[in-house]
Amino acid sequence: MAQRIAEKLGRLDRQSATILNIFAGAGYEQVAPPIIQPASLFLDVVGEQLRNRTYVFNDPDGEELCLRPDLTVPTCRLHLERHGLKGDVSAKYCYSGPVFRYQPGGGDATHLREFRQEGLEAFSPLDRETTEVEVLTKTLEALKASGLKGSQLRVGDISIFLALLKAIDMPPRWRDRLRQSFWRPEAFRAELKRLTSMPKAALTGLPEDLIARLDPNDPKAAETEVASYLADKALEPIGERSIAEISDSLLTAAVDARTPALPASVADLIERYLAIAAPVRAATARLKDLAREKGLDIGTALDAFIRRNELLTAAGVDLGKAEFSAEFGRNFEYYSGFVFEVVVPSLGPKSPVAGGGRYDGLMKAVGAAGSIAAVGAAVYSDRLALAIEEASKGD
Amino acid sequence: MTERLVLALPSKGRLMEETEKLFADAGLPVRRVGHARGYRGEIEGLPNVEVAFVSASEIAERIKSGKAHLGVTGEDLVAELVPAHRAAVTFLKALSFGHANVIVGIPAAWIDVVSMASLERAAVAFRRQHGRHMRVATKYGRLTRSYFADMGVSTYRIVPSLGATEGAPAMGTAELIVDITTTGKTLEANGLKVLETILKSEANLVASKAATWPPEVREAENILMKRLGIM
Repeated sequence: MAQRIAEKLGRLDRQSATILNIFAGAGYEQVAPPIIQPASLFLDVVGEQLRNRTYVFNDPDGEELCLRPDLTVPTCRLHLERHGLKGDVSAKYCYSGPVFRYQPGGGDATHLREFRQEGLEAFSPLDRETTEVEVLTKTLEALKASGLKGSQLRVGDISIFLALLKAIDMPPRWRDRLRQSFWRPEAFRAELKRLTSMPKAALTGLPEDLIARLDPNDPKAAETEVASYLADKALEPIGERSIAEISDSLLTAAVDARTPALPASVADLIERYLAIAAPVRAATARLKDLAREKGLDIGTALDAFIRRNELLTAAGVDLGKAEFSAEFGRNFEYYSGFVFEVVVPSLGPKSPVAGGGRYDGLMKAVGAAGSIAAVGAAVYSDRLALAIEEASKGD
Repeated sequence: MTERLVLALPSKGRLMEETEKLFADAGLPVRRVGHARGYRGEIEGLPNVEVAFVSASEIAERIKSGKAHLGVTGEDLVAELVPAHRAAVTFLKALSFGHANVIVGIPAAWIDVVSMASLERAAVAFRRQHGRHMRVATKYGRLTRSYFADMGVSTYRIVPSLGATEGAPAMGTAELIVDITTTGKTLEANGLKVLETILKSEANLVASKAATWPPEVREAENILMKRLGIM
């Protein structure tokens, strides 16, 4: 038993050295962010849901800490500590180390609560597609050098969805709402249904007599009106949320109710886009068709998608078997553009051996002064070793 | 050696009184063993049953760990304290006492917030305005997280509350609460209203799936269940 564990660790160590060698060779500096991180950092990025999957604890000072559930956020933090909150210095980092996630029932061979990752992160405002292609090709190279064969690449691109949303004519606040709920598919569907079928329902449950008296063009008067309504009903405002905030929110509802609903064809268009799941080449054709048919200008995002694919092909990546899915990336809020993962048949689609993408908004969530262009990926080392072992059994 | 069935019953308050009445009415008088305020008991005529008097939340913990086979406790506590409780615990019978609703409570002055969807919109605007998340005071962290996630609400932070949760918004330590209420009077007195009911809870007779159930314990369970009119 002890010998088998030693052998496994030895194998993981060798694999780690192989991968880091490739990343370092491409100019990625090896860093080792702390394993223990402030929980608030991750709570800001992930929200309270973090606690369902992460080892969060209090130290004797009462400070809330966690065992890092990934290495991307700690690497962002390290970058900001080195370069200040502006953080606008190009840098490329790589790492190898354990991360920790709670697994219900203790987990299994592909979902360990303590597992190793090798990864790379590029913070660079330079050519977007070139950076993305570099991160993906270095990841694929690392997998290949470790001995992986017969894997499949899956890609997605959230910026195409964002471009689609931008191209559809609607009030900016509705666009914001759809964008914000994108990463929670059920809430997104409910919001879309509300906007397309029943804007009047924006008033359901609200004091309609009061709303009828509010003038959206005079927020100050509306606030006074709301204040006297609350006073009449003996409803005392408590806490920090002010009457002005309540009044603004009522005004938004009032305006929503008077705005014509989005045509049903918009919901149809969005659903049709999200349903696209096809090999990359076929998906490209469908994206073009959809844009042309609806007369939508998503050219820039589509051009970037096509250019990236050309660069990937030029770099020797076989896109013939790669699959595009419009939904891909919806499960992880910090991705903002290109996303990818590598799956193998022996472990199935739910246990990728590597994954990554673009996350331009993450640095700001971690504390940076503004958005910082960022692309990264991680190799799930234990799964990779398992996949290679499974394949060698079949030989 | 014969193993005894461990029955965990509430050790204080209304829940204890109602539970003792339930067993007494079924011809199962529960007696404390040792001194009057002891934590162990037995049921007359059922030597294979050992009674443990503990707090309602401790009962949920013991059902979870399998230290107790059966227990009487609130569904709210089981849902909060036992992960995947629907799979881990068998609800044998709802007992029609210990009624309490787990609710989302917001300031009554928030006349613009009428659903969880509008709460999320208000929370997003609040974050933009104040540069921090809305805080939810609660001792039901797990229930809150899973309900809010189901409803698409994510822009909030939980503040653990150990008591007098209803007072948190007025004291300025949270913007809203998730708590139990029976009549809603306390909420009202604190300037709050019910936005949604997460769970309508009452006392339940529950069985542990984590406990070991040798034949003699099963037999004791069967006798208890028959006497309580459950089977």
